[in-house]
Amino acid sequence: MLRGATRIIDWPMEGLQRLIGERRMPYVFLLPNLAFFGVFVFVPISINFLYSVTGGPALFPAERPFVGAGQYAYLFDCGSFVDPSSCREDHFWRGVSNTLRFTAFQVVAMVLLSLLTAIVLNMKIRGRGFFRAVYFFPVLLSPVVVALIWKWILQRDGLLNAGITGLGGDKILFLSEPGWAMFWIIFVSVWAHMGFYTLILLAGLQAIPADIYEAAEMDATPRWRVFWRLTLPLLWPNLIVVIVLALIRAVQTFDEVFVLTGGGPGTSTLMVVQYIYETAFSNQVQNFGLAAAASVVLGIVLFALTLAQLAFSQRKSS
Amino acid sequence: MADLKLTDIKKAYGNVTILHGVDLAITDGEFVVFVGPSGCGKSTLLRIIAGLEQVSGGDIRIDGQSVTNVPASDRGLAMVFQSYALYPHMSVYKNMAFALENMGLGRSEVDKRVRRAADMLQLTAYLDRKPRALSGGQRQRVAIGRAIVRDPKIFLFDEPLSNLDAELRVATRKELAALHAEIGGTMIYVTHDQVEAMTLADRIVVLRAGVIEQVGTPLEVYNHPANLFVAGFIGSPRMNLFPARVADAGGVAVGSEMRPIILPSTGHAVVGTDITLGARPEHIDVVGEDQADIVITLDLVEQLGGETYLYGSTPGLPQLTVRQHGQAAYDRNQRLGLRLKRDALHLFDADGSAIRIR
Repeated sequence: MLRGATRIIDWPMEGLQRLIGERRMPYVFLLPNLAFFGVFVFVPISINFLYSVTGGPALFPAERPFVGAGQYAYLFDCGSFVDPSSCREDHFWRGVSNTLRFTAFQVVAMVLLSLLTAIVLNMKIRGRGFFRAVYFFPVLLSPVVVALIWKWILQRDGLLNAGITGLGGDKILFLSEPGWAMFWIIFVSVWAHMGFYTLILLAGLQAIPADIYEAAEMDATPRWRVFWRLTLPLLWPNLIVVIVLALIRAVQTFDEVFVLTGGGPGTSTLMVVQYIYETAFSNQVQNFGLAAAASVVLGIVLFALTLAQLAFSQRKSS
Repeated sequence: MADLKLTDIKKAYGNVTILHGVDLAITDGEFVVFVGPSGCGKSTLLRIIAGLEQVSGGDIRIDGQSVTNVPASDRGLAMVFQSYALYPHMSVYKNMAFALENMGLGRSEVDKRVRRAADMLQLTAYLDRKPRALSGGQRQRVAIGRAIVRDPKIFLFDEPLSNLDAELRVATRKELAALHAEIGGTMIYVTHDQVEAMTLADRIVVLRAGVIEQVGTPLEVYNHPANLFVAGFIGSPRMNLFPARVADAGGVAVGSEMRPIILPSTGHAVVGTDITLGARPEHIDVVGEDQADIVITLDLVEQLGGETYLYGSTPGLPQLTVRQHGQAAYDRNQRLGLRLKRDALHLFDADGSAIRIR
């Protein structure tokens, strides 16, 4: 029965192989995925690029006038790149500046906390399996759910303020004071995604053979030196993957922040992706061309980061 | 260099007892090999000495000082692991220097010690290489070098040759013996390979199921096994063991197929009791059927070039192994008369203990 079934699959494949040769067969197997990738990724990217070099409010590319690099020139028209208000498209640069700030703090906090958590979860502690699950649960939640949970806690009349006022304190506007808002979106984002990175680092820690630590013990190695000279270097490939993945994700951040603060107060937590979304779809004047140009710029940054990650992971596997 | 004294060492994991009270004294500069089948507790005992496992009971003394509760890092011992356990991201030099840096030695002293060990182990050309760029034998030498540089009180080896191929194993075994002769430290070596035990040891410790079965020099253990287990475990091919009965003073009867064997002595064995007679394969001669103790039919002939193993059987007795020097021409199914060498036989009483007859 099974033999018959495999014959049915084999027969056309063998015929095809005779026709095109063994060397071309891998491409046959890659084709379905390539076709899917092409239709849903490559074609939209190309159309997006087309929008970025055209102008006007029209939706269909054929009706849009060609403006060359005009949209890009508009985006990059700045008095000083360190001062978003000096730029013609100041919201874009505000978004860039916020995203950079968010990324810097979020990635550092994420990496340090997930490393610490992974180290603790790798120790022989009571209830290790339970804690491993607990730290991973937030990863399973949808970002919107995460944001709604925390909004419920952090809003003006939320759980946290109820606690503070209960203790006799004054309400704090966690989501409507610029400093607090940035702090909490970083906090929530770390909380939501830390489990994933912890898992990668935990796997890395578990892949370090136990006898290396025993050898270090026989070598009378102090604990801090075991960490700096053995654990950290041996974990480095995983750490690089975590850093780059966290960077990519931080630069792309949108949904949690959008639901939690909506980019506010003012533009103090406006991220690049939200800028792109609003410019294209939710502003009164929908500017597809400018949004497309901004997403090409963002795409280039993400592409560079992805290449870095690929380079590191290839080095790891070699 | 140091001596070691183990007193009533016990180890249990939950309800499973691995070591049932081991007593052993190892003198300064001695090369002692722990040998035994898988699961006999030999590696656990080594790890207990190292401090990598805690005892469930008993006392460990190094140079008279109790170290039972001293952590591994403070015992001043060095261990060579079965898997080498080299630091993969460090060069050979760094691997060897690591422990010395931990000790806070100056750069020039570290360099001197590493280069001396590298020279001794022919590793000088590889000092800048990472472990992954070395062969198995070279990695093993780095692991040994890492132990040597520290000038430890005792060297511990946990099956260090088991990951090497046969040829390299022989070569490294000889290097280890030479190394011990050169640096002369106290060495404890765990193996399940009796050839390593016989060739390297000053004294062999045979373990079974967490109990020491015998301690002695290699030839003592080989010539005078303390019991049936040691008799069967040490020696390859295994000693032939026959169920027998003490027929009369000086006489032993083996089955109905074998003529009674007259021995110079049957020791303390009582006439009429069941015993076990042991004869090593090299202590059986091929003779004419009229002089034979037993006549067997050959089941298998193994030609090893330098010697020949004959496997034969006769009804009522277990299969027999005979070792013949050189290349002996025999055919399968051939009948063969065998005579046991009277002065090299072993007797074991009903509970398996050896009966001294020589």
